[in-house]
Amino acid sequence: MEILNMQTVFVFEAIIFVSAVLMHVVKRNSTIIIIYLCQSLALVGLLGIHAYQEQSTGSFLIALIVLVIKVLIAPRFFLRLINRSHQNLSASTYINVPMTLGVIIGLIFFAQSDIFSPFNKLLGEMPALRMMLISAIFISLFLTINRKGVLSQIIGVLSLENSIVAFGFFVGLRQPFNLELGILFDILILVIVSTVFVSMVYRQFDSYDVTRMKHLKEE
Amino acid sequence: MILSLVILVPLAASILSLLVAKRAKNLYRIAAAASFIELAASSAVTYSIAVNNSPFSWTPYFSVDFLGAILLMLVAIVGLATSIYSIGYFKAEVDKKIIGFHRVREYFILLHLFLMAMFFAITTTSPVLMWIAIEATTLSTAFLISFYNKPSAMEAAWKYLIINSIGLLIGFLGTLLFLSIVSHPYPINLIDWSALAKNASNANPLIVKIAFVLVLIGYGTKVGLAPMHTWLPDAHSKAPVPLSSLLSGVLLNVAFLAIIRFKIVTDLSVGANFSQGLLIFFGILSIVIASLIILMQKNYKRLLAYSSIEHMGIIALGFGFGGIGIFAALLHMVYHSLAKSMLFLASGNIFLKYSTTRISSTKGAIFVLPVTGVLFLAGFLAITGIPPFGTFLTEIYIVSAGLKNHPVIVITAIIALTLAFVGFLRSVFSMAYGEPGEITKGEKSKWTTLPLIAIFIILLALSLYLPDFIKVFIQNASALISKTI
Repeated sequence: MEILNMQTVFVFEAIIFVSAVLMHVVKRNSTIIIIYLCQSLALVGLLGIHAYQEQSTGSFLIALIVLVIKVLIAPRFFLRLINRSHQNLSASTYINVPMTLGVIIGLIFFAQSDIFSPFNKLLGEMPALRMMLISAIFISLFLTINRKGVLSQIIGVLSLENSIVAFGFFVGLRQPFNLELGILFDILILVIVSTVFVSMVYRQFDSYDVTRMKHLKEE
Repeated sequence: MILSLVILVPLAASILSLLVAKRAKNLYRIAAAASFIELAASSAVTYSIAVNNSPFSWTPYFSVDFLGAILLMLVAIVGLATSIYSIGYFKAEVDKKIIGFHRVREYFILLHLFLMAMFFAITTTSPVLMWIAIEATTLSTAFLISFYNKPSAMEAAWKYLIINSIGLLIGFLGTLLFLSIVSHPYPINLIDWSALAKNASNANPLIVKIAFVLVLIGYGTKVGLAPMHTWLPDAHSKAPVPLSSLLSGVLLNVAFLAIIRFKIVTDLSVGANFSQGLLIFFGILSIVIASLIILMQKNYKRLLAYSSIEHMGIIALGFGFGGIGIFAALLHMVYHSLAKSMLFLASGNIFLKYSTTRISSTKGAIFVLPVTGVLFLAGFLAITGIPPFGTFLTEIYIVSAGLKNHPVIVITAIIALTLAFVGFLRSVFSMAYGEPGEITKGEKSKWTTLPLIAIFIILLALSLYLPDFIKVFIQNASALISKTI
């Protein structure tokens, strides 16, 4: 049972990692959001397994809230925005796809370097898991930096947040129930604020492309 | 119980402001009353700490020590001045038909939430709750930065939201790593700062080092340390003036508090050299970058924003040098908060008169606005470290703390500070003197003048004479920060 659970959580972490990589490859906003939904679902899976192991009602509730915020509310908000604005094609990246993949490979190698060897003690002797957990963080961060579209940027921030929560899960850094609720509440507010901002940006610039934002430079 | 007032009053004020349907006067009354209660409650907490010589606690979740009390008072004082000033400022903007009642209400609702988040961050005992509160400051102020709904304001707000969200997530990762040093993996109880400090000596030093780097980059983004500062000049210059005053005057210090708290834990684990080296690096980088840009600045609100980056660099340098530098850095925080909030509020009066933030289009401010003009000049002297203002002494102390071990850094800092002074001098004198043109003379209202005078009196008084009880607070806070293995 324990081995099965370990394999399952490994698969869930692999989904989180692969989702972070795939977000760089796809061009359509709606596809990025679907990938984010899958990534969030994998995170819910991790939390659900933990709750099952612990037989903890609080942990089940947390997994359920994450499901509601990240799988149901956030993607729906963003998809509705895309439908309203008819801007499904994502804005381009600052560097092209082959170079982006090159950077991602570099980040994966960096995540495997000895700099992060102190994490072995926290994560157990599983080099592949360490590589996926750390590189998912870097790759999500890189998505926000590399994309020119506001929607992709905010999805990058949310993917970074998913990767960090997954990292915290494997390191065993669970918080008291009320604190976890506080963190989730903060994330819900971030989702709402960023959605409102994305729509405000579209109204102001008639596009989701950040390269249209030149007014600060011109002043 | 008193501590609960500090957090619950701004929350109540925000809810009450939401319920105000028509009259702006009611919003102003709520803001003034709430700010007075917050200052009174903060003073009572500080007084209790001074009398009992121990931290003031309310439930295991909230506690204020000597370090927290300094920031609590700063937020309460600048918060009161800003709330009163906001009344006059928004009255003028409504009269000019720049904004309407609904925008004013939105401003006050978010202002109270912002103040609550800052009070919460200062008073909480939990690093995670502190992170939540500081993230809440970003979310509550993002809409205020885009307040005027102009493309440039929207850009600034977007930049602020994205960069700070990333920064704070990196800070969160660092926080999680710090929590890993506490021995039991599934804590039922809260992990507070004292639990972290107790477990610090047994922690894996490499993990602590990585965690501190992440915290410094994460919260350093919010502090505006270079090279993570890029959002700050845009956000601080595009926000409504009273908010800029709070952002520059106190929010940067609140975020710095998080770095200081983690520095204490780091130093207990790996010794002070590691955190000091990093703080010196980010500190000098911030001073140099900000000073060079101040020299070429054409917009007075951006000038003040870059000056905040410079001063956060000076404070980081003080903590980095250690010894007397820590005492000086804490005192510098106090002087900078007061001087910068006064300068931003003065810049608001200048903007109301001239309707521009361009330095070249603002002439003869000292003749057009006799009170504001003089206070703007005084603020310039204070912020550039000219006697009799306290920043002169704190900068001397910080420089002397590093002279022996880091002479090159000190010389670089002195050159950069001189450049910043020249840049400021040129801009401020160009604004203060010259022919104002056809602009009517006289201050807008007492609401926009009295808060400046009040802050100036406090700043000057604390510069000329530092009362013993404040010295004790800063000494005890310095002792807390200086604790190492």
